[in-house]
Amino acid sequence: MTFKGWILAATALATTALTATLPDAAMAQDGEKLRFVVVSHIGSNDPNMNWLTMAMEEFGKKYPDVEAEYISTNNYSIQEHVRLLEQAIATRPDGIAVPIVSPDAFEGPLRRAIESGIPVVAFNIADGRPEGERIPYVTYVGGDELLTGRKLGEYALSQVEAGVVPAPTRVVCASHDSAHEGLKKRCAGMREVMEASGAKFDELFIGAEPATARNTLQSYLSANTDTNYIFTVAGWSAPWAWGVANEMGLSPDVDMEGVTVLTVDEGPVSIEGVRQGHVLATNSQGFWLQGYAPLEWLYWNVKHGYAPQQDILTGPIIITKENADKWSDLVRSVFGEEAYNQQNTW
Amino acid sequence: MQTPLQALVRSQSFGAVIGVVLMLAVFSIVDFSGWWRSQTLANVAHFSAILGLVAMGQALVIITKEIDLSVGSVYGLTGVAFITFEPQYGVGGAIILALLIAALVGAVQGLLVVKGKLPSMIVTLGGLFAARGLIYVWTGGSVNNFSQAARINPLTRLFGGELFGIEAAIFWMIGLCIALNIMLWGTRFGNRLLATGGAQDSAESRGVRSDHVKIATFTLCALLAGFAGIVTLADKPQTHVTLGDLMELEAIAAAVIGGCLLSGGRGSLVGAVLGAFIITSFRYELIALGAPSSWFITFVGVVLIVAVIFNQSLARRAGHSV
Repeated sequence: MTFKGWILAATALATTALTATLPDAAMAQDGEKLRFVVVSHIGSNDPNMNWLTMAMEEFGKKYPDVEAEYISTNNYSIQEHVRLLEQAIATRPDGIAVPIVSPDAFEGPLRRAIESGIPVVAFNIADGRPEGERIPYVTYVGGDELLTGRKLGEYALSQVEAGVVPAPTRVVCASHDSAHEGLKKRCAGMREVMEASGAKFDELFIGAEPATARNTLQSYLSANTDTNYIFTVAGWSAPWAWGVANEMGLSPDVDMEGVTVLTVDEGPVSIEGVRQGHVLATNSQGFWLQGYAPLEWLYWNVKHGYAPQQDILTGPIIITKENADKWSDLVRSVFGEEAYNQQNTW
Repeated sequence: MQTPLQALVRSQSFGAVIGVVLMLAVFSIVDFSGWWRSQTLANVAHFSAILGLVAMGQALVIITKEIDLSVGSVYGLTGVAFITFEPQYGVGGAIILALLIAALVGAVQGLLVVKGKLPSMIVTLGGLFAARGLIYVWTGGSVNNFSQAARINPLTRLFGGELFGIEAAIFWMIGLCIALNIMLWGTRFGNRLLATGGAQDSAESRGVRSDHVKIATFTLCALLAGFAGIVTLADKPQTHVTLGDLMELEAIAAAVIGGCLLSGGRGSLVGAVLGAFIITSFRYELIALGAPSSWFITFVGVVLIVAVIFNQSLARRAGHSV
C-alpha cells in the first residue's frame, strides 16, 4: 500500500470510528440534513422564546446534520397557530415539535402529518386526553400544567400553616387567553387544591392588554371583596395584579395581611417578584429543556426509531423565597445581567 | 332660537347621551351601592379617559370618511418607545421622540391613503401589523423597566400622576376634548375637515385641499393614540408588548356609539368620549355582576348595532343622507 493509500485508509477508519461513537457527528443517511420545524405559540411577544431559541442553538451545535427552524405566532390566536402548523406540514419536514394548545384544533393536521410519516413531538402543552384518545405523537416534553397549579397551591397552603400568609377565602385565577388549554389546566390545578381547603375559586379572563386587564381585575376585586389570593397564569401580568391590589389598599405583599399573589414562569419579573416579597411563589417548567429535548427525541426517533414509553416532564419546579436567589443567578447567566435587569419591571 | 334641550336632541352625540342615561339608570337599579362607589367611578373614569383620547382621534378620522385601524398598535408603539428611549434621552426627550414616531406613522398612512388613492382600511390594517411587529422586534418580547428616578420625574407625574386625588389622564382628556371641539367647530381647519367628510367633491370645488386635511387628521389621530399610550405608561409603567392590543376596535366602537357615521361628515368628539365611557362602564359592571368577562365582547357587538341604527335614524331626521 502506498503512503497515500495508508492516509486514505486511516482517514476512512477514523471517520467510521467517530461516526459510530459520537452522535453529534452523525449525518443523515442520504447525506442531506434533516429538517425539524418547531411550530410554537411562544413568539417574539413572549420573553420565554429566548429560552427555546437558545436551547435550539445548543442543539444545532451538537447535531450539525439537523436544520431546526422555529416559527411562531405573535398573538394569542389558535387559528393562526393552526395555519402555521399546516404550512409547516406542507413543506414535508423530517419532524415537528408543537405545543398542543388546542387538541380539537390540532387533531386533524397532526394526525394527517403522523399518518404521512412525519414524527411529531409535543412540547410545552400536552394533549390532555387519555392515552388512547390523544393525538398519537412520539412523546410529550414539558411541564404538567395541572401539576403546576396544584403544586403552587399546595405550596401556598404550606405557607398558610407556617403562618407566612393568610388562609385563602376566595382565589381568582387571572388568565390572558381564555382558549389556551395549558392556562386552563393551571387554573384547574389551583382550583382543585384551593377548593379542597374551603376557599371559593373563580377564573377571570383579563385579556393581554395591560390597561384592560387592570380594569377587569379591579372590577372583579371590587365586587368580590373576600378575594385574598390572585394567581396570574403569566409572569408578566403579576405586576399588574399586584399594582391593582396595591392601589385598592389590599396589601398585596407576602405577609399575613390582605392579598397574596402567585404567578408562573422563571423569567426575571417572576423571580424578582418573589425576591422582593411581592409574589409568594412562581414555577419553572424547564423551558430550556423544552427547546432542546423535543428535537433530540425527534432525532433519535428518525435515526434509531426510539420512542419513550411515557411523557417526559421538565417541570414544575416551585421557586420560592428560599431558592429564588439561585434561580436569579441562573437566569442572569442565560439572559445576561443587563437584559435581566431591564426585564425586571417591578 | 333653539332651547338647550332642542339643541341636545339635535346634537350628534344625542344617541350617546341617551345611552349613558339609560346605562346609569340600569346600573343604579341593579347595583346601586356597587356602581356609585368612589372607587368604581374613579376606575371607570380613568380607563374611559384613556380610551376616550384614542376614540376622539378615531372620530376625527371617521368624520373625514376614513378609518384608522392602527390606533391600538400606535398606542402600544408610542408607549414602548417612551419607556425604551427614557434611559438615553430622559423623560422629556423620550416623550417628544415617542410622539414624533406616532406622528410619522400617522402622516405616512395619511400620505398613502390620499396620494396612493388606497383604501384607509387596508393602509391602516398594514399600519396595525407593521407597528405591532416593530414592537416585537424592538423589544424581543419584553418591555424594559422604567427606573424609579423616571417614575418620580415631574414630567412623568404631570402626565401620569394625580391632582386632588383624580388621575391626570382625566384632566388631559377633558382639556384635549375642549381644545379639539374648538378646533372642529370654531376654526377654518375644522370646517374643512367636516366638509371633506360630508361632501368631498363639493369641498374641493370650493378650494378645500381635502388631501391635506386627511393627512393632518391621520397625523392628529396617531398623535392622540400615542399620547394616550404615554399617559397610560406614565401612570403605570409595568407593561407588556400587548399594550394596545385590540384597542382599535374599542376605539372605533366608542366613536360609532358616540354618533360618528362611517359615511363621513357627521360625528361628535364628546360622543366618542361618552362611547368610551359606555364601553368601559359595561366591562366593569358586567364583571362586578358576576358575568364571565368574555360576555363583554358580545355586549359591545350588540350595543354597536343598536347605536348604528339609532344614530342613522337621528342623522336622517337631521336631514343627513346616510
